[in-house]
Amino acid sequence: MFLSPLPLAAFLLYLDPGSGSFLLQLLIAGLAGLGVFIGSQWAKIKRRLSKQSASTAAGETETDDEDDEQS
Amino acid sequence: MTRMMSSPKLGASFRDPSGFLFTRQGVLYRQVNRSYAEDYERLMTSGLYQKLVKAGFLVPHQEVDVPPAEAEMAFKVLQPERLPFISYPYEWSFSQLKDAALTTLAIQKRALKYGLSLKDASAYNIQFYQGKATLIDTLSFETYREGEPWVAYRQFCQHFLAPLALMAWRDVRLGQLLRVYIDGLPLDLVSALLPTRTRWNLHLYTHLHLHARAQKRYADVSLAEARGQRKMNRQAMVGLIASLENAVRKLIWKAGGTEWAEYYDITNYTAEAFEHKRQLVAAWLEQTAPRLVWDLGANTGLFSRLAAERGAYTVAFDIDPAAVEQNYQQVKANRETRLLPLLLDLTNPSPAIGWRNRERESLLQRGPADLVMALALVHHLAISNNVPLESLAEFFAEAGRWLIIEFVPKSDSQVQKLLRSRVDIFPDYRREGFERAFGQYFQIHQAVPLRQSERWLYLMEKT
Repeated sequence: MFLSPLPLAAFLLYLDPGSGSFLLQLLIAGLAGLGVFIGSQWAKIKRRLSKQSASTAAGETETDDEDDEQS
Repeated sequence: MTRMMSSPKLGASFRDPSGFLFTRQGVLYRQVNRSYAEDYERLMTSGLYQKLVKAGFLVPHQEVDVPPAEAEMAFKVLQPERLPFISYPYEWSFSQLKDAALTTLAIQKRALKYGLSLKDASAYNIQFYQGKATLIDTLSFETYREGEPWVAYRQFCQHFLAPLALMAWRDVRLGQLLRVYIDGLPLDLVSALLPTRTRWNLHLYTHLHLHARAQKRYADVSLAEARGQRKMNRQAMVGLIASLENAVRKLIWKAGGTEWAEYYDITNYTAEAFEHKRQLVAAWLEQTAPRLVWDLGANTGLFSRLAAERGAYTVAFDIDPAAVEQNYQQVKANRETRLLPLLLDLTNPSPAIGWRNRERESLLQRGPADLVMALALVHHLAISNNVPLESLAEFFAEAGRWLIIEFVPKSDSQVQKLLRSRVDIFPDYRREGFERAFGQYFQIHQAVPLRQSERWLYLMEKT
């Protein structure tokens, strides 16, 4: 929805994000993102197995707000 | 220039072209520049602002109809809720810095859901507002463009993860490096200082050790070259934030190895003397009704709480990281909103640092307080640090209007302990000398000997 056709330079940043930092986070994020994906698939499988299909939507809302209050 | 002088920009408010803070007639405002209009509107209309303020993650503000400080660039003027005291990361205990880190990540997670992203992750953008770590920079958000990495990743690692890792894995005192490195700790230094076994910790290995190596290796490579055509989708971004959150959460520092039993010098007071002291302090707080109190040498905040309970915003300073940590844990457990525990070495208080020495204020620049408490403190400064009594009095007169101060005589076993291994070069350190020195700067309203004790408690007012 907010995707922009602007090239990178057009919204370059007032802080230098650092070339090495940029590259490294791309690598880490790729792996971590894979972890998130596997985790969410695993959660789905578990939900199906436990046959609590009644409240998929409710479950999603709950995770959305779970840590709004700081401990 | 006259324009600048009538509405001065704050010294730290120059780096981000999105806007800046200025004061006018004592009121703090934030100018939002036209270049930031679109991002600001997205923050306000997407629902993110309301969500973050409600959750206590962002300081609220109001849009106000006052002339901007620099009209040609101005889009809007905001009046943020003003905090009674600004503190800095090198004054925070381990858990305060950790909570500031977690708040930053919690905000980023929510921002992504609303199509925004944090464009910086400076520890200086976090303050303790009503007892909780809270973002104070309303202009830290930008529109999230899927595919883009997190521009604040490097800053987050340097401002938060690196000092926390050093504090947890090496020594809690290394948090003081933040005072030297204003834009966070250099990762090559952190990597060298961390114990080798942290390389076996996946999070610390990647975000700190490998990160340091990547910075070195790509130091002379442009961003575009380093990046090539790589993109980072939303799932990867969420994964990165989750990974950082995991890394931070797993860092633990236990406030051990300190002399807990000696807090409050309980051994030097009978129960009656202690109770007498408590009653006097409480009564004088009610008499003077301060709004801002600095409790210097506050330990874990027992007397600070007397002030906070009576409505004063109270900053509880102590030199011992374990005491500050324990105090902060109490603030959290009891949800106290008017007490801010901070780490401070009074013999070398926080200086003014940063560009032109104007980005972060010194301790005294952030004063004066309405009332200063110095309980069981004077002997540490006068004897251990050789500060002459006149100089002490002058310092306290600069720090606040009212002063509740305890005089601990030489005969006291705590002072004897300090003198045990050195020559007594303090002939003036007697009650008469103390009163004479402080009398030059203060009117002494009350001087009360504590029952069953040789110590005296004073209420003074700056003349």
